Amino acid sequence: MSSVPLTRNFCIIAHVDHGKTTLSDRLLEYTNTVSHRVLTAQHLDSMDLERERGITIKSHPVTMTYPAKDGQIYKLNLMDTPGHVDFSYEVSRSLAACEGALLLIDAAQGVEAQTVANAHLAFAQKLKVIPVINKIDLPSANLELCLKQLEDILTISSEEAILASGKSGIGIVDILEAVVSRVPAPRWTDYPQPRALVFDSLYDSYRGVIAYARVFSGSYKAGDMMMLMNTGQRAEIKEVGVFTPKMMKVDVLGAGDVGYFVSSIKTPSEIKTGDTITLANKAATDMLPGYKEVRPMVFCGLYPVETSDYEKLKAALGRLQLNDAAFVYSSESSLALGFGFRCGFLGLLHMEIIQERVRREHDVDIISTYPSVVYHIVTHGGAIAQIDNPVLLPDPGTILEIREPTIKASIHIPNDSMGDILALVMEKRGVVEHTDTLDAHRVMLTCMLPLNEILVDFNDRLKSITHGYGSMDYELSDYLVSDLVKMEILVNNDPVDAFASIVHRDKAEGKGRALCEKLAEIIPPQMFKVAIQAAIGGKIIARDNVKEMRKDVTSKCYGGDISRKRKLLDKQKEGKKKMKQFGKVSIPSDAFIKVLKTN
Amino acid sequence: MTHVETEQAKGEAAPRPGLYMHVPFCASTCDFCAFYQIKPTPGMIERYFDGVERELELIQPARTYGTVFWGGGTPGLLTAGQLRRLGGLVEKYLGGRRATEWTVELAPGSVTSERLEALREIGVTRVSLGVQSFQPRLLDALGRQHNRGQIDRAYERVRSAGFASVNLDLMFALPGQEEAEWLADIDTAVGLQPDHLSTYCLTFEEDTALWVKLSQGRVKLDPEREAQLYEATWARLAERGFAQYEVSNFARPGHACVHNLNTWHMHEWVGIGPSAASQHDGWRGQNVSDLEAWAAAVDRGERLTAEKTCLSPALLAEDALIFGLRMNAGVDLARWQAVSPAAPWGGVNALLDRMVADGLALREGTRVRLTDRGRLLADSIGAEVMAAFTAEEVVR
Ligand SMILES: Nc1nc2c(ncn2[C@@H]2O[C@H](COP(=O)(O)OP(=O)(O)O)[C@@H](O)[C@H]2O)c(=O)[nH]1
Ligand code: SF4
Repeated sequence: MSSVPLTRNFCIIAHVDHGKTTLSDRLLEYTNTVSHRVLTAQHLDSMDLERERGITIKSHPVTMTYPAKDGQIYKLNLMDTPGHVDFSYEVSRSLAACEGALLLIDAAQGVEAQTVANAHLAFAQKLKVIPVINKIDLPSANLELCLKQLEDILTISSEEAILASGKSGIGIVDILEAVVSRVPAPRWTDYPQPRALVFDSLYDSYRGVIAYARVFSGSYKAGDMMMLMNTGQRAEIKEVGVFTPKMMKVDVLGAGDVGYFVSSIKTPSEIKTGDTITLANKAATDMLPGYKEVRPMVFCGLYPVETSDYEKLKAALGRLQLNDAAFVYSSESSLALGFGFRCGFLGLLHMEIIQERVRREHDVDIISTYPSVVYHIVTHGGAIAQIDNPVLLPDPGTILEIREPTIKASIHIPNDSMGDILALVMEKRGVVEHTDTLDAHRVMLTCMLPLNEILVDFNDRLKSITHGYGSMDYELSDYLVSDLVKMEILVNNDPVDAFASIVHRDKAEGKGRALCEKLAEIIPPQMFKVAIQAAIGGKIIARDNVKEMRKDVTSKCYGGDISRKRKLLDKQKEGKKKMKQFGKVSIPSDAFIKVLKTN
Repeated sequence: MTHVETEQAKGEAAPRPGLYMHVPFCASTCDFCAFYQIKPTPGMIERYFDGVERELELIQPARTYGTVFWGGGTPGLLTAGQLRRLGGLVEKYLGGRRATEWTVELAPGSVTSERLEALREIGVTRVSLGVQSFQPRLLDALGRQHNRGQIDRAYERVRSAGFASVNLDLMFALPGQEEAEWLADIDTAVGLQPDHLSTYCLTFEEDTALWVKLSQGRVKLDPEREAQLYEATWARLAERGFAQYEVSNFARPGHACVHNLNTWHMHEWVGIGPSAASQHDGWRGQNVSDLEAWAAAVDRGERLTAEKTCLSPALLAEDALIFGLRMNAGVDLARWQAVSPAAPWGGVNALLDRMVADGLALREGTRVRLTDRGRLLADSIGAEVMAAFTAEEVVR
């Protein structure tokens, strides 16, 4: 029996665009938590990047008050969850803070890859899953199919489904009632000591790190000495509060509550998502389950286009990290690109988001190097080194084997693109483990793929082959031995470290040729002869030549033209300084991005 | 030495300074024109003459002028009497001698026997006719005011007036011009038997009507086509006995333009008139491009110079290379190493060697010159030379 029978903690999980944001807004509106006007304004000016990409990175919990049909007034805590596989650990922590989940399915789209992945995450957290077929107002809604998929793919009884439309406000009361009646009251409330699960945090320049947490047992108030169980770190609680959705100070946070903690902790890395907050004077002995150190999976170098922007970039990365403990960086330098930073991300999307933020919110023009995963290098001595930068790969003679991270992916596709997708998976060195029929038109492939192979263009190609209908979700799997080599690109016989990559031996030549070709195409015509080569350990495996400049001469150049001419040449010279110099070759800074994008 | 080099050597030893006079009047504006020019009124012409007189007095170089060049604008807009008067102003500064070379630019439509007679009288030796094209359609497109008949008549008159040297200015890469049409123009020009030919690739200068068309996408730039036209021009003129001595200039033996060679060798010249550029007494600059402002300034006893730059030995050496390499005979490095021993010659030599290795340049003794391919890239090479001299670029 729960000691807090009138609280429900739940979240909404869905595939991108299935209507999570719209439905959340509708629930807040219905419970008068926020007026429609405020809601729109608020959502528009915060995190436009997330909205553009249809994902949520920061969790925005909110507490609603709902007078249910049973005559009782309930406190409903709605947890928002990040919507992308890169953030699956964060998702799992948000889910762990709940007892139930609304699983949205777009009535016109049916179950998609993320729907399945999210449902499984929710099952794993032992959440009560409430299926909601959303967007039933759409003329293309196919209820019958959705209900069947629910049973066949998710093994949820179709009886349980609620039909709704966030847009038209259909089914809102049904949903709220289901949350009250089907989601269990807060669990683990009778654990003898206080425990609260950190599911996110926010950095505030005045108040330090604000931890978002779900209290399972005990109570917390300002003045208490809290303790983080993972590190043993103690800190005085300065303030506790709830989300309305604005932060609102309260006197006490008790079992079942979702709220925030302001403490004397100023360093974001000291409060980690998944950690348990207890109180120092009656410390719990067991942490709440599921804590994990998150490790960045994808690395790349980020460099300012203008060398003078180095400090600005450093400050930008520092500020971004304050609110994103999963993002790491350290300084590095490159012969080709100068001084910059090695950055680690949870995944490709995470990488893109950070890069985009640096550009947009911090207004620094950056170049990124070829992304890399973390390889495990086993040397003859038996030591295992973790390498995230191809440039740092030790001498091949000392390497016993190289292991690369793999993923287990589930790919949902229309039947008719099966052939092309299988070819794509093969090309990416993947192995299809099994195929499952989703319905008359769709199948799900479960496959193993090297993480490295899906970094750059896998998703784009999946989308283009399936005309946008394909979707993919993945989880990390094992490190496996693979025949990998370091491929270098030489411009004018100089290795360009920014283009170095670790590739599978069988693919080196093809990749090398494609890279050389692309670079030869992108580098503007040069007056000197410039060769572009791909090499493995000094052996040239592909080559191309930059186009030779044909004509660049001003016809007339007399006395009066000399000063003018000098100015033009000076401009030309300065223009070249803005490009990256390789010996005497100028490469426009966006060449790197173009190459990365097209490869 | 080949005859080209002998020709060029004429300008290489420090000669008397040149005198450039800008006559800023035109009847109308050509589409490709970026020069300072205005439609004249009688009052303006008076103002101009007074100004020229004052400015010449103001300068008084230690030496007298060796060459004279009247450009524009359109010097031919002046009447015979006005030309005589202008000549009279110049004569005082020739030290009692005849100018080695005295060029006047004339538009074919302005060539009259009276004017030519006046020019011969004052000592003009060389006439440069702004033909541009023999194709009526293209002349029209350029906004030029003359026709084929006028060109022929003008040429006839200039020749019979007995000038020592006659140049024709021609333009190529005109919008809509076929290569065959251009080669026909060259042949027509050669058929007239001039002593010198200047062939200009149409360039798009900001603030010109053509630039506007280009930026609106009505005219397309095509470097490949231009390169082909350049090459075709060089080959055709060589066949016809005109030796190229600079990117755009070709002469029969003995007829290279001394005044221009003097400029490209980074010697001194004095520019008179609004917008005229000068290089003498340790600086380089340009008169203000406004007749009234220029005239008012020289009235006050002052030259209004825009973009005045001090000429250090290193800058002169740099420019001698940048502009000298545009000439077929190239540059004598020894001379400039002597002028500016402190310049970063190591980097410059490395650049030149690399150019030689890539077939852009040739070195013979202390001389360096560009190959045909190199000459087509003279601007890029200029920028590289500039970089080598400023040594900002660190070669790994
Ligand atoms: N027709 C219809 N469209 C909806 C409904 N809910 C959301 N949408 C639309 O679906 C798109 C994605 O909605 P959003 O709430 O942003 O989805 P999210 O990515 O899951 O947060 C938007 O264009 C919405 O206007 C609905 O109930 N009916
Ligand atoms: S005649 Fe010469 S100066 Fe006059 S407008 Fe034409 S191009 Fe310009």
